[in-house]
Amino acid sequence: MKAYDETDLALSFQALGADYDVRVPILLSDGTRSLGRLEEGKMALAGGKLGAKPTSVFFPQMDLVFQQKGTNVRMQAPPSKPLMVVGLTAQDADCLAFLDRFFSTNFKDDLYRQKRMNSAVVVLSGKCGRDGEMLRLSSGNCDLELVFDGDRYLALAHSQTGKAMAEKMKGGLETDEISLGRLQRESKALPDDELKLLQRASSLLLDNKVPEDFWVDISNRCIACTACNLACPTCNCFDVFDWKCGDSCVNRYRLWDSCQLDGFMREASGHNPMGTEALRTRRRIHHKLAADVIRWGQMGCFLCGRCDEVCPTGIGIKAVSREMVEKYG
Amino acid sequence: MKRVLTTCTYCGVGCGFYLVSNDEGQLVGVEASREHPVAQGQLCVKGWNAFQFVQHPDRLKQPLIRRNGQLSPAFWDESMKTIAGRLKEIQRKHGNDSIAFFASAKTSNEENYLMMKLARAVFKTNNVDHCARLCHASTVVGLAQMFGSGAMTNSISCVEQADCILVIGSNTTEQHPLIGSRIVKAVRKGAKLIVADNRKIRLARLAGLHIRHRNGTDVALLNSMMNVIIREGLENKEFIADRTEKYEEFRKVVEKYPPEKGASICGVTAEEIVQAARIYAQAKNAMIVYSMGITQHTHGVDNVRSCGNLAMLTGNYGRPGVGVNPLRGQNNVQGACDMGALPNVFSGYQAVTDAAIRQKFEKAWGVEGLPDTPGLAVTTALDAAAEGKLKALYIMGENPMMSDPDQNHVRKALENLEFLAVQDIFETPTTQLAHVVLPATSWAEKDGTFTSTERRVQRIRTAIEPVGESRPDWRILCDVAMLAGYGGMKYDSPKEILDEVASVTPSYGGITFERIGQFGLQWPCPNKEHAGTPILHVGKFTRGKGVFAAVDYRPSVELPDDEYPYVLSTGRIYFHYHTGTMTRRSKLLDREERFPFVEVNENDARRLKIRDRQWVCVSTRRGEVKAQARVADVVPPGVLFMPFHFEEGAANVLTINALDPEAKIPEFKVCAAAIRSTP
Repeated sequence: MKAYDETDLALSFQALGADYDVRVPILLSDGTRSLGRLEEGKMALAGGKLGAKPTSVFFPQMDLVFQQKGTNVRMQAPPSKPLMVVGLTAQDADCLAFLDRFFSTNFKDDLYRQKRMNSAVVVLSGKCGRDGEMLRLSSGNCDLELVFDGDRYLALAHSQTGKAMAEKMKGGLETDEISLGRLQRESKALPDDELKLLQRASSLLLDNKVPEDFWVDISNRCIACTACNLACPTCNCFDVFDWKCGDSCVNRYRLWDSCQLDGFMREASGHNPMGTEALRTRRRIHHKLAADVIRWGQMGCFLCGRCDEVCPTGIGIKAVSREMVEKYG
Repeated sequence: MKRVLTTCTYCGVGCGFYLVSNDEGQLVGVEASREHPVAQGQLCVKGWNAFQFVQHPDRLKQPLIRRNGQLSPAFWDESMKTIAGRLKEIQRKHGNDSIAFFASAKTSNEENYLMMKLARAVFKTNNVDHCARLCHASTVVGLAQMFGSGAMTNSISCVEQADCILVIGSNTTEQHPLIGSRIVKAVRKGAKLIVADNRKIRLARLAGLHIRHRNGTDVALLNSMMNVIIREGLENKEFIADRTEKYEEFRKVVEKYPPEKGASICGVTAEEIVQAARIYAQAKNAMIVYSMGITQHTHGVDNVRSCGNLAMLTGNYGRPGVGVNPLRGQNNVQGACDMGALPNVFSGYQAVTDAAIRQKFEKAWGVEGLPDTPGLAVTTALDAAAEGKLKALYIMGENPMMSDPDQNHVRKALENLEFLAVQDIFETPTTQLAHVVLPATSWAEKDGTFTSTERRVQRIRTAIEPVGESRPDWRILCDVAMLAGYGGMKYDSPKEILDEVASVTPSYGGITFERIGQFGLQWPCPNKEHAGTPILHVGKFTRGKGVFAAVDYRPSVELPDDEYPYVLSTGRIYFHYHTGTMTRRSKLLDREERFPFVEVNENDARRLKIRDRQWVCVSTRRGEVKAQARVADVVPPGVLFMPFHFEEGAANVLTINALDPEAKIPEFKVCAAAIRSTP
């Protein structure tokens, strides 16, 4: 096993740039960390999860679906190089796996799959959270994992792609696995209160123990900003629209949508199965904690915490679950 | 991928975010700035979708000149020469004041400053104004007289420090969502919320007290609250004695408004007024938040004064969590005012009537004979055009056909002009009447600064290349000035323009691109060492002592009668913005509200046999429009509410061109209307 410092990693990512379009956490001008190319900003691996929806690399907010010129339809071309995404957390990798399954089951989403196919995902874990906070180690559902021990990043390959990447990495010191074992134990010892809370909330919903009044109260605090959906790594709803791009030329785009909007499910007749704010607020939480459990056998929330951070009024999924459990057990 | 930090182009809250563009230079999204002091990684639905309209195929991409009655594509050179030539010709023929200039709260500080300079230095007229005339002109007049500064006294962060928040005439969660959300959080933390608004807005659901007073009766309501405060000895005597003047005169007027009288004028109970007075006056830190419900009246200035009085009576100034906080509606309406795009002041509210100030600007601009009498406002300029007194109008980024009262009057006014030039990003009903139309760049295609409602001067930055042949407004204005024979408007960048602003504007004296940095500076910021001013009037008011204003209740101009039995009030809704040019070209926002609508109370609807979503006709003495009925209990019986965003059902066909005598702001919130089913 090899351990790398940040200089080694920057050189390694540069080298891997021969095979991949590499995206790493970079520091934007105001200190926000975001996914970008190495030349677009200072690399900032440590600092915890990225604020924006990490799965947007494969499923951007707005994306060209096809261009029609006369009778000729041209689909969006696949990326010239596969993507390599560094900086997902273990939770983010779980979210990506969830999204992969969604976009590949029944309805197969070509636009997503052509970006995701042959891509490489590198998870950051260990003591590289905000202020050195411990980040959970992944379950192995990524290609490569860089586990920070407070000094160096230990490289763990979880797939053939990961192994091939590790071989091309520059520098690094051979190290024993003692340090990794310690970090794995620390990761396992991380508190699971939030998971238990979410599971409890999920049970309450599955058992139908949350009355409508609760959702009316929550929805009174919702300003329909849609940020919970736009930040959520497992949210995958989109709408489509067409723009003229000249005479007999049309571009079709897709755009992130939100179940918190009245128009999301409104039918042409005007009928709306999600026609009240309370129903829409309920849907968001119910979908993640109950409907997904029934459909996929697992919750659609992996506790990344983004919806709680971006919600201007404090009704992200953790906050709502807490309130639900406090009120109904 | 490219991410550029900028400031939102919609409301006045001033959220910072990143515009995201792809390798092809197309905007593909918005990413929040987690570090921004106002946004803190959060945005409203318009913010999250603010990139959407920028590269819309409808963008104006080349200049247009009217030939044989039709607007046809033209070259920049010809278009600019036509504008400069026609303006000079009309100036020679009819005099300096035959021309007016409309600046814009959507454009940058630098561009507003230049429009003001173009009007005054080049064409020697004070006929320069912008759409603040339609929203917060009452605030600028009222608060400046009372305190010496016509802006929000506190900062947005103060909201969560208040113990009591009185929201009067502001639908805050919809119009200033990132301030509204702070009110929601403050209430969750125990702050008391009083909502005074007869619409059942979202905040009303969370309010401890919701007062649904009749439209236009705010002075009576506030005077009665103050009557109770004085009667019960809840006023702050020390503050009144130390920091204010003209209290006795004010007290005598307020004495005439016992709660029973207020209740009868306002259509509420005396108990509600007493309760509101006690909650507000007994709070340790009480904050007033207001907006168009206060300002858009023929007594708008009096409404503002009453808010100012209430806060002075209780000593709620000069510390966190208090103050009088007018929420400015547009991204840069504060800045457009600050830059002197107003008929009576240069930048920094320096009066055109002051000879020493004129001399200062004459020296700085290298001109002589700057005009010394206040010019025409947006509203009075259109009146003058309708009367044939105003001959030419140069509009930058405004759409008076949709935004100003009484559309038929506006059309007549604009059609009456000898020359109309408009620069904008989309075709609008106003550009359709122009002789020359210039394609301007949007905020995503240029550098500059916006000033938010909390007086925070922030950067906008170029994220993408200009669409088509569009040019930034500042460049266009400089070229017009040069073609009109003035050499004092040559700049390489907006940074240079802001440096000039700082040199002639005391409150912006220390504000430069470098110092603004990532998160801005709040004025007053008089010098390069000054850290900015989050809270005004600490220790003393800007003008020294605060002046109480003795104001009596005056009814609105056009009240319901047998023929027009309803009160019509107009305003904005959450998903759309002003004249709809941007939000109606944003997929999700337009999908949410596709049609013009009118809110009708369910009891009225039942009586009139009007169903929800049925098309109805709303009419006033000015005209008639079709809209979908929205039947609910949002408005009380006898009241109709219409948003003004929809060209196909323009609420401003209906509104009345009645103005506040001091602020010249129209009475958008009250006119008499009728409603009936469409055949």
